[in-house]
Amino acid sequence: MAETKTIALAINGRGREVAVPANATLLETLRELGYFEVKSGCEKGDCGACAVLVDGEAIDSCLTLTWTVAEQAITTVAGLGEGAAKHPMIEAFETSGAVQCGYCTPGLIIAAQSMLKDTPEPSEDDIRLGLSGNLCRCTGYTKVFDAVREAAAVLRGGESQA
Amino acid sequence: MALYLRPERLEDALDALGSRALTVLAGGTDFYPARVGRPLDEDVLDITALAELQGIRDEGDRWSLGAGVTWSALGAATLPPCFDGLKAAARELGGLQVQNAGTVVGNLCNASPAADGLPNLLALDARVELAGAHGRRSLAVEDFVTGNRQTQRRPDELVTAIAIPKPAPDTASHFVKLGARKYLVISIVMLAIVIEPEDGRVGSARLALGACAPVARRLRKLEAALAGRALDGGLGDALETAHLEAVLAPIDDIRASAAYRRHCVHVLTRRLVTQAWQALS
Repeated sequence: MAETKTIALAINGRGREVAVPANATLLETLRELGYFEVKSGCEKGDCGACAVLVDGEAIDSCLTLTWTVAEQAITTVAGLGEGAAKHPMIEAFETSGAVQCGYCTPGLIIAAQSMLKDTPEPSEDDIRLGLSGNLCRCTGYTKVFDAVREAAAVLRGGESQA
Repeated sequence: MALYLRPERLEDALDALGSRALTVLAGGTDFYPARVGRPLDEDVLDITALAELQGIRDEGDRWSLGAGVTWSALGAATLPPCFDGLKAAARELGGLQVQNAGTVVGNLCNASPAADGLPNLLALDARVELAGAHGRRSLAVEDFVTGNRQTQRRPDELVTAIAIPKPAPDTASHFVKLGARKYLVISIVMLAIVIEPEDGRVGSARLALGACAPVARRLRKLEAALAGRALDGGLGDALETAHLEAVLAPIDDIRASAAYRRHCVHVLTRRLVTQAWQALS
């Protein structure tokens, strides 16, 4: 039986104390806490559906033990944007036709946001590498890349192209 | 897991390894996939807090990659062109999230026949540094990996670093990975080349082939045939079937047939050698 201890987790700007067993993955913990926007896909790092930001960097939560991210800032797709204002990446995905079934969408947005943090003016290759850890079975990626380009422009302070 | 240990000092990690059976865990990108659908119930030694295992160091006559170095960190590091092949592997292994978490040493210790780091490490004549409660030792990577998921690491040892002897400064390297898609895919065939030019000729060439045998192998017969040849468009003609047959033991599996692998090895070896020449001219 795994040891359980109470750790401090900071999720989407909200701090909380949670009793977590040593063998719990961050994916399991987040969904148990009600963050259902974090999807369970392959549970082995092959699809990116479970991706979240930890201190601004995209990681697969299925490949992460919750104990190892205590004290770090965890952000899910629901934590992007300020208050009622919709985050430009989410807006761009919605208006670009980049969402079909939607299952891969949270992970894609997280990965794209992580990439833009380091590369605010990405080339096509940067976008493809940035999203390389995310699979989508519906869209064929074309409109996903359009959405990322659109969001990048808006986040750099430009006008929406939509 | 019954026990989860995350020491901050190497001696504590080695003490723990010496006293009980522990599964070593860093980025976990092979650990979790092997355990999908079942509870994580092993005793684990998490090495990500060991400061001594972090960083890429210039140690004069060699480079040292700590066991904690992730693929993303390697790709972002300022390193000479002899690392270009290993960096190419870093960008094509898994996907970005896996590259952010997975380590070069973890890939080596997992020792899959399709381990993406192994062809480049073999072509660089890399060495593995091990530490145990009983002391330290070093092995050539070629001797360290002995079979499909088998290495010379004893249960009470940790790989602390990979050491790469420095070649001549103008040494170039390249890598090609064939997979059913570009990312999130296990290799069908992989090739790495490290090539040292000398007065318009091949001073030395080191090539290694992966995913076509239980362990990646150096192509020593081809290396001998390339040595001294002019760096021109005819370089690819040096390749003969005999150079490859000795090291090829491809299997039919879910990714490709043995026949397809054999065919691709010829095509890709020729292409890689040509690419190396073109990059140097």
